[in-house]
Amino acid sequence: MTSNGTRWALTGAATVTALGVGRVVARRRRRHQPEREGGWYVVNRGITVDRPVDAVIGFWTDRERLDRALAEWATLEQLADNRWRCVARDPAGGGTEWRAEITVDGPRRLSWRVTDGPAQEGHVELVPAPQDRGTEIRAELRWRSGPVRRALGLTTGSDPDLGLRDALRRIKSLIECGQMIDTRRDPSGRSPAQEKATDKVREKLMSGGRA
Amino acid sequence: MRALCWEGVGKLAVRDVPEPTIRADRDIVVKVRASSVCGSDLHLINGYLPAMREGDILGHEFMGEVVETGPGVQRLKVGDRVVVGSVVACGGCWYCRTEQYSLCDNSNPQPVMAEKLWGHSPAGILGYSHAAGGYSGSHAEYIRVPFGDVGAFKVPDGVPDDAVVFASDAMPTGWMGADFCDLKGGEVVAVWGAGGVGQMAARAAQLLGAERVIVIDRLPERLGTASERLGVETINYAETDVLEALREMTAGRGPDACIEAVGMESHDVGPIYAYDKAKQTARMQTDRPTSVRQAIMAARKGGTVSIVGVYGGLVDKFPLGAAMNKALVLRMGQMHAQRYIPMLLDRIAAGEIDPGYLATHPMSLEDGARGYEIFEKKEDGCLRTVLHPQAA
Repeated sequence: MTSNGTRWALTGAATVTALGVGRVVARRRRRHQPEREGGWYVVNRGITVDRPVDAVIGFWTDRERLDRALAEWATLEQLADNRWRCVARDPAGGGTEWRAEITVDGPRRLSWRVTDGPAQEGHVELVPAPQDRGTEIRAELRWRSGPVRRALGLTTGSDPDLGLRDALRRIKSLIECGQMIDTRRDPSGRSPAQEKATDKVREKLMSGGRA
Repeated sequence: MRALCWEGVGKLAVRDVPEPTIRADRDIVVKVRASSVCGSDLHLINGYLPAMREGDILGHEFMGEVVETGPGVQRLKVGDRVVVGSVVACGGCWYCRTEQYSLCDNSNPQPVMAEKLWGHSPAGILGYSHAAGGYSGSHAEYIRVPFGDVGAFKVPDGVPDDAVVFASDAMPTGWMGADFCDLKGGEVVAVWGAGGVGQMAARAAQLLGAERVIVIDRLPERLGTASERLGVETINYAETDVLEALREMTAGRGPDACIEAVGMESHDVGPIYAYDKAKQTARMQTDRPTSVRQAIMAARKGGTVSIVGVYGGLVDKFPLGAAMNKALVLRMGQMHAQRYIPMLLDRIAAGEIDPGYLATHPMSLEDGARGYEIFEKKEDGCLRTVLHPQAA
């Protein structure tokens, strides 16, 4: 039979272990949380595009090419010299749509603000990359959300950070090779039900990639 | 069309699947005439790289005829006989521009698993699981090839399908293994593995200036083929202590360069191998690195170890101390197909390399499952099974 002392010692050890594990988990979680600034979540993401800054700007100003590239997921409408309205759709379908106003702030910088839907804004800056590596596209995204909404967003995969990373990857791919590879609906020996399950796996493997 | 699909761990079956179509301007569709099995497929079939989905079409080493081209394709036309590199490369990113095609930034649309496992995602690979992009493979009557102008190369007339098919993967992989060794002429090079890649690496080492090439395996028929076809020396590791033999053969120095062309299902004899195999079976390590360990121990001081066998995850007992203290150069990677294929086609046409003898077992697609079995168990002197999807 175990003595009281042993029992207390075991309970103590278990508590210390649990606290230790809890602290590590909390620290890990904090490290992966976006920063908070006055009620806004803020993330910074960048991607390197193997083209000089002028060519990256050229991609945005060549209207025909841009429209073709954006065809399936967004339309652009010019409001004034330096202001645009963008209507973006979820390319996977689902009917989600959001509107934003884009302002060109300078030769290498633009910002946007979502005009309907959840509060979200951000800006993009183009910086020449070292060693002839092209252009760094640096983006900052800010959005307002409570912890519950954010947790919900994370579980449903609609985290704005993931969306930003996807968008940067898409832009890089469109500029560098003129298309975004898609292997969904490639031939396979799957039944429709298996294909649906596989599409879910594909979705997980696609969203949030960084190239 | 008919295609050889993965049906679960260790299970393959031929199924009726929809035909591929042009989906982007730079796509081509190729009618597959020859599609080889590859040792790296075995890792997928056997579930060691856990990113396969039921119904996935296997196969990545192939050649055929262009039957359709997208409007953005300029270098190829319908009717061209082509060989296609197994890694997909966009041709427009920094890695492609610097000819490191297997590191292409834009060809893996499903990069998340690779990023979690490896920090960054390398290029997508045709028919090579959802970690490598989820592309349909070449063990089918037709296949869509993205960026056709970058990945497909016209084949010289007169070279048989079953020879040129190896310019898709086995040859560039072997060549890159030898290229990594940075040979200046006169070196002793040891090659682990006498399969298709190992034999091509041995031939490449000869062409790049190695004075002696020593091939290591345990299958007498493979070693026999290597010594007969390429004139290399051989060691059978099932009968001989490899490290001792290599030291003797090089008068104590050790080989200047060691090429590992085996990969994560490496085989060996003895208790350490049994331990590795048990751990891998219990999924406590993903890869069995037996031959890499041996290569590191064998290499001369300051020598090079070049790894072109495929590894996927974590290994145990990696002799980092030996590599560090002997000041070894370690080089490794998936091959940059598009960099080497044109040069290799020239060399095939000139008769410098004849990979045709690797195709020991030509078969129809319907016999694909059996073809893999023969290949995996190395029955009947099999070096490579080559499937012919157009054969009845």
